[in-house]
Order: sequence, then C-alpha cells, then structure tokens
Amino acid sequence: MRWLSRLLHGIGLLAVFLFAVFPFYWMVSSSFKTQTQILASPPIWLFHPTLGNYAQVFADEKVTRAVLSSLIVAVCSTGLSLVLAAPAAYALARYEFRGKADLWFWFISNRFISPIVLALPVYIIARNLHILDTHLVLILVYITFILPIVVWIATDYFRSIPKELEEAARLEGASQFDIFWRIYVPLGAPGLAVSAIFGFIFSWNELLYALVLTRRDVQTAPVVATSFMSGYEIPWGKIMATGTVIVLPVTIFALLVSRQMVRGLTMGATK
Amino acid sequence: MSYLRLQGVEKRFGSVEVIKGVDIEAEKGEFVVFVGPSGCGKSTLLRMVAGLEEVSAGEVFIDGANVTNVEPAKRQVSMVFQSYALFPHMNVRDNIAFGLKMSKTPKPEIDRQVAEAARILQMEALLNRRPRELSGGQRQRVAIGRAIVRHPKLFLFDEPLSNLDAELRAQMRTEIARLHADLGVTMVYVTHDQVEAMTLADRIVVLRAGKVEQIGAPQQLYDHPANTFVAGFIGSPKMNFLAVQAAPAEGASLTLTHPSFPAPVRVARAGGGEGELQLGLRPEQLHFEDGPCRIALKADLCENLGGATLIHAKTAAGETLTLQTAGRRMLKPGEAFSAGFDPAGAYLFAPDGRAL
Ligand SMILES: Nc1ncnc2c1ncn2[C@@H]1O[C@H](COP(=O)(O)OP(=O)(O)OP(=O)(O)O)[C@@H](O)[C@H]1O
Ligand SMILES: [Mg+2]
Repeated sequence: MRWLSRLLHGIGLLAVFLFAVFPFYWMVSSSFKTQTQILASPPIWLFHPTLGNYAQVFADEKVTRAVLSSLIVAVCSTGLSLVLAAPAAYALARYEFRGKADLWFWFISNRFISPIVLALPVYIIARNLHILDTHLVLILVYITFILPIVVWIATDYFRSIPKELEEAARLEGASQFDIFWRIYVPLGAPGLAVSAIFGFIFSWNELLYALVLTRRDVQTAPVVATSFMSGYEIPWGKIMATGTVIVLPVTIFALLVSRQMVRGLTMGATK
Repeated sequence: MSYLRLQGVEKRFGSVEVIKGVDIEAEKGEFVVFVGPSGCGKSTLLRMVAGLEEVSAGEVFIDGANVTNVEPAKRQVSMVFQSYALFPHMNVRDNIAFGLKMSKTPKPEIDRQVAEAARILQMEALLNRRPRELSGGQRQRVAIGRAIVRHPKLFLFDEPLSNLDAELRAQMRTEIARLHADLGVTMVYVTHDQVEAMTLADRIVVLRAGKVEQIGAPQQLYDHPANTFVAGFIGSPKMNFLAVQAAPAEGASLTLTHPSFPAPVRVARAGGGEGELQLGLRPEQLHFEDGPCRIALKADLCENLGGATLIHAKTAAGETLTLQTAGRRMLKPGEAFSAGFDPAGAYLFAPDGRAL
C-alpha cells in the first residue's frame, strides 16, 4: 500500500500547489491577453500573447510613479526598521535590564491590534501633523508594523550566537559598538535578511493605510492597481499587467536575499 | 607583591554561593593550574580574573594594580575558551588580528605580529581559511594565536584541550608547555584532568566546592597532600584508603590494626592520633607478595596495560584496593594473595580528612 499512500500524498501536494499558484498563473497569463480573450467563456488556454497591456502600463505615468513611490516607501521603511531594530534586538538578546520582559511583550502585543482599528486615529494624527499624502507618513506607519517583526526575529537569531564570541571580543578590546557591528550584525545577517524580506513585502503590498493616508501626490502601486477598477469598463489586461509588474520586484528581492538565509554562518564558531 | 593575587574572592549567583572566599597568589612567569571536579567553580574563578564575571566580594590584583573594578579589555589578559570562540565569519588572519585592530595598531605592525604568531604556532599555510575549514587542533592553535599577538600580562585557558582526542591532547599539551617556556609569560590554566595539571603546572590550586583545598607544586601535592580529597584527586590511579584502628605506641609512633593485616603495623607519627584513621597507599606503593608489611587480599579484576598490570582487589572489610605491578600478572577473580608496603611511605589521615 506504500504506492497508494505516496500517490495520495502526491495528489494532495499537487492540489495545494495548484491552489497556491493558479491565481498567480491567471494574473500573468491574462496580462498577455486582450480584453476579449480574458472575458471569453469558457476560458482560452492557448492564445497568441500580446504585449499591448504592458505597453499601456509603462506608458501610464501614474503606474511608473506609483512603482517608484512604492520602492521609496518600502526601502526606507525596511531600512530604517533594520537600523532601529537590530540594536534593540541585541539588547533584548544579551542584556538584563528592568522591564525587559514587558518590553518584549509590548513588541509582540503590537500585532494583536487589527490594523483597521488604528487607521482612523493614525489618519487624524497625520492630518494634524500635515503629513498626509507624503512618503513620510507611509514610511513612519510601516515602520511601526515592521519594527516588531525585525525585533522578534533578530532577537531570536542573536540569542543563538554563542556568548563566548562576545566575551572573546570584549577581552580583545572591542567596544560595545564593535561587538554589535563586527560580531552580531554579520553573524545575524541571515535573521536580519529574513526579517527584511518580511518587512519589504509587507510595505510593498500594504493597501489599507496607503488608501487612507495618501490621495494624489503619493500613490503606491497597489493603490493604483485597484484604482483602475473604478471606471466604466474594467481594463482587466492592464490590471493584470500592473499586478505582474508589482509582484516582480518583491520576487527578485526575495530571491536575492534568500541566498543569505541559507548560508549557515555560525558554523565553526565553536565545537 | 605577587604578580597575580586573589584576595578573599567570593562569588554568588543570586543566593547560590559558588566561590566561598579564595586566596591565591602567583609569581610572574608561573604556570598556575586550577584543578578540581566538575562544578567546583574553576571557570567562574578564571572568569573573575578576566573580568567577565564580577566578584561578589574580595579583590583581584594583576601586576600590582587592583583590577577588581576594571573592565575586561583594560586588564590586558587573553583568554582561550573551551569552545575556542573563533569568529566564524573571519579567516584565521582576521581572527588573530582582531585584538590588534581593536587597539588601532598600524597595519604593518599587525602583519608582522600575525606572521610571528603564525610562525610560532606553525600555521602559516592556514591564514586564509575560515574556522570551519580547520580541524579541532588547528582551531585551538588559532585561538592561542589570537591570545599571544596582544602580548597580554596574563594568559587564561579554560579547559582548552577537552574537545580534542587523546593523542592530539597530549601533543597540544606539550606545545602549550613549550609556548610557556618560550614566551615566559604568566599562565592560568583550568582543567579537571589531573595529568594536565601535574605535567604543566609550576603551581597547582586544588579546588572543591568553591574553596581552595591546597596550593603547591605538583610534586609537593603528590608527596604531601593536605587531606584525603587532594590525596585522592592528585595521582593516577587514585590513592587507596583503608579504615584502620590506631593506638599510641612508644617512641612517637602508632600501631595500626585492620582486619586484613596479618600483623599490626607500626608507623612513626609524632602528631599522634587515636581511634579510627584513614591509611592512604598509592597503587605504586603496594607490591605484589613483597614488602615489610602485608595486607591479605582477594583479587577482583586485572587490567593488563602492556608493560604493567593493575590489580583491583578487596580486603576482608570489603574495601577496594588497586595496586600496580610491573610486568604481566593475571589473577583469577577471588584468588587470595598479599600486597606489601613500606610503612615509612604510607599516608595517614584524621577522621575529618586532614593529613597527619
Ligand atoms: N551564570 C551562572 N548562574 C548561576 N549559576 C552558575 C552560573 N555560572 C556557573 N554557575 C554555577 O557555579 C558553579 C561553578 O561553575 P563553574 O562553571 O565555575 O564550574 P567548573 O569548575 O568550571 O566546572 P566544569 O569542570 O564542569 O567546567 C556550578 O555549580 C554552576 O552551576
Ligand atoms: Mg568550567
């Protein structure tokens, strides 16, 4: 009965795989179809691909500006989160101080709150600070989401670095900053990379706050993609092409950083 | 004043007292070994010398300066960890140069020092490798190299050889001894291996449960252990102990009786002592069917070491005894024989363990 269980296993896996990948396939394939081909029922599986949708997308200044905005917001919010969270994670991983457990819990509890609950207060604060419809407001808001994730993951990672490495460095005359910068950051790079991917993907895809806090000057890619749906006729091909363009940078980024993740850097530190 | 001095040093982790008032002194250039069973506080004591652990009470002096509240980096000590603690993301050269870089040593000087250390430790060919590309013994050498380039006042070793196999351990042991002779620096070395302690040390500190049991040269500890703990800890195989009855006899001596003694044994002891005492005999002090005083024994198990044989035997009172004889001598379990010894070399201990 081994073959049967393996067969069922295989079928199950295939089903999950198709379920996960099909929407993606549908988006990418539709982006190469004309409007009539997309709306055809039953669906057309074999067709002559067209680049017309992409031509439209790249001709639309709204889309290119949105991709640029998304890039600015995602890079800045992820980068700043890393800069702020890594030292915090180091302190949480290696130092005893009053309120450490509470602080730790506070970082976790940030994610208990449903984002929509905070959307209105955040909107009011941003309006009073006159930073609505700027990159800055999105960067600040996204940092509050990404920072706790980076702190969690990095703390865990830093804890796994043998303590003797820090002690050896300390005896060799390394300053606190040297220890952090020359020991923890390079050895924690895989953990930092994982959290950077999470952070980047989060800000790249975030829709709710982007809709609430921006209007005309700054629009991120997901906002622009959904805005196409509001017209008289929905341009499915263009939406699908925009979607593909949006997904591409994240995929490339994830592939680039994943190399970092698998490198077992701590190997050989101790016996 | 001594080069290294610990004065009334204590350490508590929370409410647990781990080091209970320790006084140790060492001269410049000495090789000091802390030895004791697992958990007795050797590492903790060493880490307090390094400054990695704060002292709860007492003071630490290095080279005449009170360093009790001085941070580790400023104490000018180097430490070799049991786990080596090499930086895995740096190659051998950068590992060795780390401390020099931290102290902003000029580049040419760093290169010179690293080359010198590599030459001393014979690892010139390994400089561009990462720690994970090295064997255990090579990693150990890099860790030592990292320690020597900074010319510290004190070298600290925490069980540096315990991760190596027996052969490599013996080889590294002689290398460390050679290094000590060549550099003439003061070293403090922690081990629970009494062979390492005996062969390396100028001065051994025997620790038990956070207290110093005895300090002295290896031969002194071997010949004149202060108590049964030191007597049993130093020397391999271990010293044998027999519970004997002592009665005073004329001429500052004692008469010892034991169920397995065919005749009472006279030992000279000015200090006296009466009643139940511990008689200590090292395995090499016992001779098979030979010697002025005899013990009747029943063989238990014989271990052939090639050139010598270890005979494990039992007395009538059920105490186990080990004797070492030259050559090959296999006895059957239960076979009766006698072991002889010279009472002049025997050790006597009071009921509380103190040597008499
Ligand atoms: N950070 C700590 N917190 C609490 N207790 C500790 C700490 N470090 C060590 N101890 C305790 O102190 C005692 C001495 O520990 P130490 O590591 O100095 O022993 P050791 O002699 O080096 O033993 P080993 O030969 O096993 O290395 C042990 O009972 C240990 O449990
Ligand atoms: Mg130890």
